[in-house]
Amino acid sequence: MKVQHIIRREFLEYVRRRSFIVSTLLVPVLMLVFFVVPVLFAELEPDKTYRVAVVDQTGEIAPGVVAALTDTLSSGRRKYAAEAVPAPGGSYAAERTARVEQLRAGHLDIVIAIPDTVLVGGHAAYITREERNMNVLDRFETVITESVIQQRLAGEGLDYTRVKDLTAGVTLDMQQMTAQGGLEEKSFLSDYGIVFVFTMILYSALLSWGMTISKSIIEEKGSRVIEVLLSAVTPRDLMVGKLVGVGLAGLTQLSVWASMGAVVSLYASMGLVATLSSFHIAPAVFLYLILFFVLGFMLFSSLFMTIGSVCSTEQDAQQLQGLITLPMIVPILCLMLLLQNPNSTLAVVLSLIPMFAPMIMLARIILLQPPLWQILLSVALILGSIYLSITFAARVFRVGILMYGKRPSVREIVRWYRLAG
Amino acid sequence: MADNAVEIEGIVKRYGDFTAVDGLSFSIPRGSIYGMLGPNGAGKSTTIRMMMRIMLPDAGRIRVLGSDLAGVDLDRVGYLPEERGLYKKMKVGDLLTFFGQIKGVEKREAQRRARVWLERLGLFDRVLKPVEDLSKGMQQKVQFITTVLHEPELLILDEPFSGLDPVNAVAIKDIILDYHRRGNTIIFSTHQMDQVEKLCDQICLINRGQVLLSGTLQAVKKQYGHNGVALRVVGDASFLQSLPEVASCQDNGNELFLRLHDGADPGRVLDAARERVEVTRFEVAEPSIHDIFIERVSEAS
Repeated sequence: MKVQHIIRREFLEYVRRRSFIVSTLLVPVLMLVFFVVPVLFAELEPDKTYRVAVVDQTGEIAPGVVAALTDTLSSGRRKYAAEAVPAPGGSYAAERTARVEQLRAGHLDIVIAIPDTVLVGGHAAYITREERNMNVLDRFETVITESVIQQRLAGEGLDYTRVKDLTAGVTLDMQQMTAQGGLEEKSFLSDYGIVFVFTMILYSALLSWGMTISKSIIEEKGSRVIEVLLSAVTPRDLMVGKLVGVGLAGLTQLSVWASMGAVVSLYASMGLVATLSSFHIAPAVFLYLILFFVLGFMLFSSLFMTIGSVCSTEQDAQQLQGLITLPMIVPILCLMLLLQNPNSTLAVVLSLIPMFAPMIMLARIILLQPPLWQILLSVALILGSIYLSITFAARVFRVGILMYGKRPSVREIVRWYRLAG
Repeated sequence: MADNAVEIEGIVKRYGDFTAVDGLSFSIPRGSIYGMLGPNGAGKSTTIRMMMRIMLPDAGRIRVLGSDLAGVDLDRVGYLPEERGLYKKMKVGDLLTFFGQIKGVEKREAQRRARVWLERLGLFDRVLKPVEDLSKGMQQKVQFITTVLHEPELLILDEPFSGLDPVNAVAIKDIILDYHRRGNTIIFSTHQMDQVEKLCDQICLINRGQVLLSGTLQAVKKQYGHNGVALRVVGDASFLQSLPEVASCQDNGNELFLRLHDGADPGRVLDAARERVEVTRFEVAEPSIHDIFIERVSEAS
């Protein structure tokens, strides 16, 4: 079994590369940074009590605001130490200036200035040195608005709590029917995001590992190692060894990504961080990602390998690679269509065409569980094409790897295929 | 039959319209050092590649170590291709172990042999260095080790001395001779005639995909070489041209080279010369393979 040595060498060659280690560890970290950290940061609050002065020209709004600011910090202390400063009529400007002076001196953190026009015009001021926290701002906007509405309603002789109860809004909870006919809670928006991220990860992994294998053959031809290898192993062993070795390196990388993703998703589903709950992804989806990577890799990389074997330079290879990369983009282009109706005839057909199936089927599985027979049929069809593409690759490979010079035309490649038969 | 390491019968290889090998036949006896000679593009490398099953002939039959091409145990053959190639990023030790393993040597044994060879060729301190950090000559030596690490019975070397400095060329030559002494067969292709003359006991001369001549070195020289003498004299020696034994004369300045008619006696030329001038040097020149090579190739074209 000489092929095992080829596999081992290829695998080690890639997993030992610095670029492999960096991208394997860095991609999930970057993902986390881009998607999760901003959310987490917003959640994190400093253990600090804000000293607030609410300067109020109407004299009626501030008490309601101060009363509503009962928020506590995680340490149990009050989050806001608010003081109502009634400043009726002409004293408003002077009070406001005085409090801003205190803010400047560092005795206050926030000054809220409410002119009497607030009851008709709707503007008040939030003055601060450095507190730019959106949550704090939102909180003040809410309590001031409530207090103002309360005053306006009181002016009309209406009871605030009664009106609030009567005008409460309605929330629509999304539910979707599963393949088994049951109902499942769904958030459409997060589905879009997840489908997009998963499809892109699969696409870029298939593309980059395919290119890698094509490049590696061209390099071996260039450095003439190929002839030494062929004096020891059959072209078939060499091809299989490369495919499996490089594939295992890719699988390692994707497994690291998937398991990191699964951990984050599990963490999210335990509800430890409320804002992360939309990141919940079924564990099976990660397994499908790996399954479709393996299938897609065997299918596309055997073709990428064929191209590498018939070309002498990477420039030559780039032109032929278009024959593979173009169909690979189709699923990405169809994504919007798929998101709107993952069960349309077009979506089903696309998910059964081997060239498109890995990405389209993965997307459909994330969006809604398609019938099992469709998944199985799609996998079977991909397996069939893998058999065909590897048979084709093996024949062309045998002739191609010893050819140097001008890039052959597609017709010549077909001739080599017949020749090797 | 069994004492031939390689038997080639009427092999043909075409690349499109170009026929690289055109009905080649020859046998290589076991235990010989066999030289395949020929100008560039004669079809030597293609023939060797077919022996190594890297390419398949369009017609003809090749037997290597007693079996048909399909059944050849390549682990018993070592091959140094004309175009050298190694994995540049691999460490020297790992690379040698890998090439040993794909030739069927068990890992530990391959590591042990790699150490022995590196020591022998003065490269032991490079065992952990990546191949690309080595000089070209060192890489050539490492490449040579990959061809012998699995101790093959048949060693096929395509231009083994090209690109080697004289010191390394001697080191490699010694290894080849040592290898031969232990009863192994060595085939090498070259166009460096002096190497052939020093090393080979059998040769074949290939031109345009066909065998021009083949046989033991002695037989070839006898059959195709011509008598000649080289001499240095004091005085005018132009009269020697008109001697009945002399076919032609080449004046090399200080020295004369006389080509004699077949069967002529060099001793009579010496006698004739000594009658008229003082002879300071006289040598019966063996025909060189170099001359035979040039003569036969230009005759054929």
